[in-house]
Amino acid sequence: MASGQDSSGTTLMDLITSDPSATSTAGASSQQQSSSGVGSVGGSLLGKPVAPPADRKSKKGTLTQIQNETISAAKALNPVKPVSYAQLARSIHELAATCDQKSSQRQLVNSVFPKLAVYNSVDPSVAPSLLMLHQQCEDRNVLRYVYYYLARILSDNGSQGLSAAGGIPTPNWDALADIDAVGGVTRADVVPRIVDQLSAESSSDDVEFHARRLAALKALTSCSTSSSEMMEKLNEIVFGTLEKVADTKQKRKKGIFTKQGGDKESIIRGNLQYASLSALRRLPLDPGNQAFLHRAVQGIEFSDPVAVRHALSIISEIAAKDPYSVAMALGKSAQPGGALQDILHLHDVLARVYLAKLCHSISRARVLDQRPDIKSQYSSLLYQLLLDPSDRVCFEAINCVLGKGDNTESTEDRAGGWIRLTREILKLPEAPSVASKGVLSKSSEKSSKARRPQPLIKLVMRRLESSFRSFSRPVLHAAARVVQEMGKSRAAAFALGAYDEGASLDVESLDSDLENPMAEATRKPNPLSNGHGGMDTIAGLLASLMEVVRTTVACECVYVRAMVIKALIWMQNPHESFEELKSIIACELSDPAWPSSLLNDVLLTLHARFKATPDMAVTLLEIARIFATKVPGKIDADVLQLLWKTCLVGAGPDGKHTALEAVTIVLDLPPPQPGSMSGLTSVDMVSASDPKSAMALQRLVQAALRNPTLASALTRLQRCAFSGSWEIRIAAVQALTTIAIRSGEPYRLQIYEFLHALALGGVQSNFSELQLSNGENQGASGTGLGSLISPMLKVLDEMYRAQDDLARDIRQHDNSKQEWSDEELKKLYETHERLLDFVSLFCFVPRAKYLPLGPTSAKLIEIYRNRHNISASGGLSDPAVATGISDLMYESKVAQKETNTVQSGIDPDLAMAWAAGLEDDVWANNAPAVDKVKDFLAGAGTDAPDVDDEEYMNSRPSVGYDDMWAKTILETYDAEEDDGRYSGGSSPESTGSVETSISSHFGGMNYPSLFSSKPSSHGATQQTIREEPPSYSTSVLQRKESLENPLSGRGGRSFGSHEDEDKSSGNPQSGKALYDFTAGGDDELSLITGEEVEIEYEVDGWYYVKKRRPGRDGKMAGLVPVLYVSS
Amino acid sequence: MILAVLFANSDGNILIERFHGVPAEERLHWRSFLVKLGSENLKGSKNEELHVASHKSVSIVYTTIGDVCLYIVGKDEYDELALAEVIFAITSAVKDVCGKPPTERLFLDKYGRICLCLDEIVWQGLLENTEKDRVRRLTRLKPPVEP
Repeated sequence: MASGQDSSGTTLMDLITSDPSATSTAGASSQQQSSSGVGSVGGSLLGKPVAPPADRKSKKGTLTQIQNETISAAKALNPVKPVSYAQLARSIHELAATCDQKSSQRQLVNSVFPKLAVYNSVDPSVAPSLLMLHQQCEDRNVLRYVYYYLARILSDNGSQGLSAAGGIPTPNWDALADIDAVGGVTRADVVPRIVDQLSAESSSDDVEFHARRLAALKALTSCSTSSSEMMEKLNEIVFGTLEKVADTKQKRKKGIFTKQGGDKESIIRGNLQYASLSALRRLPLDPGNQAFLHRAVQGIEFSDPVAVRHALSIISEIAAKDPYSVAMALGKSAQPGGALQDILHLHDVLARVYLAKLCHSISRARVLDQRPDIKSQYSSLLYQLLLDPSDRVCFEAINCVLGKGDNTESTEDRAGGWIRLTREILKLPEAPSVASKGVLSKSSEKSSKARRPQPLIKLVMRRLESSFRSFSRPVLHAAARVVQEMGKSRAAAFALGAYDEGASLDVESLDSDLENPMAEATRKPNPLSNGHGGMDTIAGLLASLMEVVRTTVACECVYVRAMVIKALIWMQNPHESFEELKSIIACELSDPAWPSSLLNDVLLTLHARFKATPDMAVTLLEIARIFATKVPGKIDADVLQLLWKTCLVGAGPDGKHTALEAVTIVLDLPPPQPGSMSGLTSVDMVSASDPKSAMALQRLVQAALRNPTLASALTRLQRCAFSGSWEIRIAAVQALTTIAIRSGEPYRLQIYEFLHALALGGVQSNFSELQLSNGENQGASGTGLGSLISPMLKVLDEMYRAQDDLARDIRQHDNSKQEWSDEELKKLYETHERLLDFVSLFCFVPRAKYLPLGPTSAKLIEIYRNRHNISASGGLSDPAVATGISDLMYESKVAQKETNTVQSGIDPDLAMAWAAGLEDDVWANNAPAVDKVKDFLAGAGTDAPDVDDEEYMNSRPSVGYDDMWAKTILETYDAEEDDGRYSGGSSPESTGSVETSISSHFGGMNYPSLFSSKPSSHGATQQTIREEPPSYSTSVLQRKESLENPLSGRGGRSFGSHEDEDKSSGNPQSGKALYDFTAGGDDELSLITGEEVEIEYEVDGWYYVKKRRPGRDGKMAGLVPVLYVSS
Repeated sequence: MILAVLFANSDGNILIERFHGVPAEERLHWRSFLVKLGSENLKGSKNEELHVASHKSVSIVYTTIGDVCLYIVGKDEYDELALAEVIFAITSAVKDVCGKPPTERLFLDKYGRICLCLDEIVWQGLLENTEKDRVRRLTRLKPPVEP
């Protein structure tokens, strides 16, 4: 077995015997004399045979040879080779001989036995020494190990490596023994001796040694069940013991509830009861054997909780096969006050689980149809388990109520289960006898309330809902599984017509059942008046449960999510809209964390769901289509085909047509191309570059769970950044930058990584894809985009660096418990302001609230501001700015007809909400935008993303400086590429010209000081810009014609508006400031109401204006929002 | 049925494994599956935080305790919640033996005793003793309840 050996060749034994001080490379550690005396003992005996001396020469020879080989190999390889198996075995022989000495015992317990445990099996040649120790040694610790190893020898079924224990492979002693059939110590030799010795011990009545008796019995149970002789012996011992200890009814009560109470005799009896029932549990089930059942039934009343658990598990297993005799044998135990009622209060969880199974088997047994009284006792017991404090028990009870058996249950059982769940009512028994015993004292005190009959479904729903709020993954997983079972039963009920279209009818009849108890609970109104509330009740309960289930999709554990999706699939009703389920699945499939086995599992669930409800063929096929299109590489084609086939075959004559239609839809899909997955592949590509981005990706996935809209927007933008046309890619990159700046961390890091990869040459590698994707010759190399990205990267770099510095500073201050000095705070504040300035160049941020240094900086900056009386109103809290901007947004809707972009969220709250990564709810305030965004996210116009996105970019009313910047780049691009473009010009000149024009713009736009601090170039830039518009419009027109853009109508409109602008920009207009305006960045110009300005040109909702005389800040020209100036 | 109990170190070396009812040829798959699961999910996970996975009808619950990862695989009545009980019994026994969440070294130093504890908690694929005191007594060859 390779298990004991890891890749570096270090075995577990190396690890275990290595010097603790040595490093992890245990094999290379220095002289291994370490803890064990084994080394020295072994060394002195080097070369001696391990097996007891015998006259089998060949055997001896082989052994010696192997031993020598092992040791010499060990020596040759490594002088500190850890203890070999042979050495250990030899030490046992040696030490067994002197086991009366304390030192030998110590050595055995401390070094030899623990090390021997590392090997996956123990060879029979050690057995004689073990048996000797067993007889002669009195040290408990040595003996415990002896029992452990004897059990392992017994359990070893002869073939090497099949032992359950694992570990380092043991040298193949058995095989060696077989070479020489005449002798050696073989299993066949030692096993009977071991069994004899252990049997004798376990049947002895010596009270002093009863602990050894327990251990011996336990060791005996490990012998293989295939030997009938051994089984007989074991049976004899177990039943013999039970004979003596089982009939002790009176003593039990003390033992069960007051653990330490009771006399010595009863405690010993309890211990023996435990050991014998534990052994009985390991014996093969014997349903026909009345003695077997009788002993198990007696076990229910034992004092030892583990014994009770074993007894119940035996009984529940027998009950599944022969409920009648079990019910008879149990007699009155199920009645109030009986032994089974006591188990409700037993501390052992599994015992109660078995009780639920037992109750389920008996209450559903057809053979007991004549005895409704018995059946009702057990169902009442089962229903009481629904109130169990342990989730495990409660869920088992729910599953039992729902009719889940061992997966062989029939549809009728399931349907019956659903009806039971929805109609039955839990009436807690009066249980005077129980209460009188004081067992139920607690619950009986508040019984007046708790006793009120409760409909099962309400109990179950309440319980499940609270479980779904748990933080424990196992609980979530289990709860989702229960919901899945519920869905299965419900589907069965549908299938049998017990609860289908006639739902209202059925539920109505049901609701009288349902409402009654609740009505009683409230104020005993006329049950008839509740006629219409009933449907709401069940449907409402289910709906609120499903709401909770859906939120669980946000769990970060993919297995929990898978279970939730399976539950949703099962709870999906053929008559309900499945849009939500579809979108959840589609969202989930974008997560690369899903292992393919799990996806196939979900597909198989679809398959099973279809079998349960053939009506859902179309729905299910649509869902399967999502799998086929989204993760074609991960799912097993066979599974998918199986699903399609079954849907086709099983749909029935009516459904066949619809099923066929659905399949055709899938077949009509284009085969998955590399391009169609570019969003994902691009992410993968980025992630492949280094572990940091892998981490970013992982975090993004986690974040995507919090905000699926933003995440899918990201994915789509990334795709656009790769595969759109030139303009689209720029717009996408800009949008990504905006998201990076405004959003919380995982997104930012992710985008940073993405942009980084893009700048480095992801573009080149994607060129092939580009050409595939839109057949348009892009006519440029990727460098253009690269130089576009680099300033964005620089800003992000700058932010990260500043954040790192801040983190370091904070740490330093914390460590030295130092206050921040004013100087340091000032520096921090300056960095903060500087970053704010940079960031504002790319997109709008609320200056008062935005924290480029991260949330940790908030406090420090606050301190500095307070100290120096700096109001935070540099930007947003300035009412003029705030209202101005919001005005701008709302009015621009009117002006531009469409407010459609992700980035139009200038409303500060919206921006902040976004920045905080909040839910999608924020979009509710911005209805047109929502639709647009949704369209965009849903991939509307995937075939022609260019047009879509172009419009998206052009009609953007946002005032980010980046827009203008991008536009100028575009304009230049179009102007300069005009010739080269359609002649397939990826000529170096064209690229060069683009580059130069871009860089000139960077300079010209008075771009952040970190890129170029040459405000003097202002004029020159203006020149460029002013020159461009005409060429832009012509190029646009030309392009429009040449492309024959089907959507040119729309495009034309927006372009037309530009033409107007262009005209206006030709001859400067004069205007007047309507409001005060405070510049938010270097490029903006502050205005005072009434000030006269000259409008130079308009860009995206901003005027570039010139003042007659310089303002207070000394600036003459700059950008102001259009709405601030009357033209 | 508890199909497997498996201890591994953070590098994925298997320290202790106990299979029950798993054919020998499947054990290798289980080992690599579990170790992979751990390497993907246990990094940075809190001590004794429970993780869950499933494979067909088999449930898996796993966690870290100190430097050691512990995986338990079960089916039928040993679903994720029952396995959570099992894992709790095992981790508390291990902590009891080691005195604290063990480092790998400490775990190996106490290897033998941990094997004995495991023997008392999971025996032949079934949960046996869950109480820490009981387990401790039984590993010292004392009766589960002291007379």
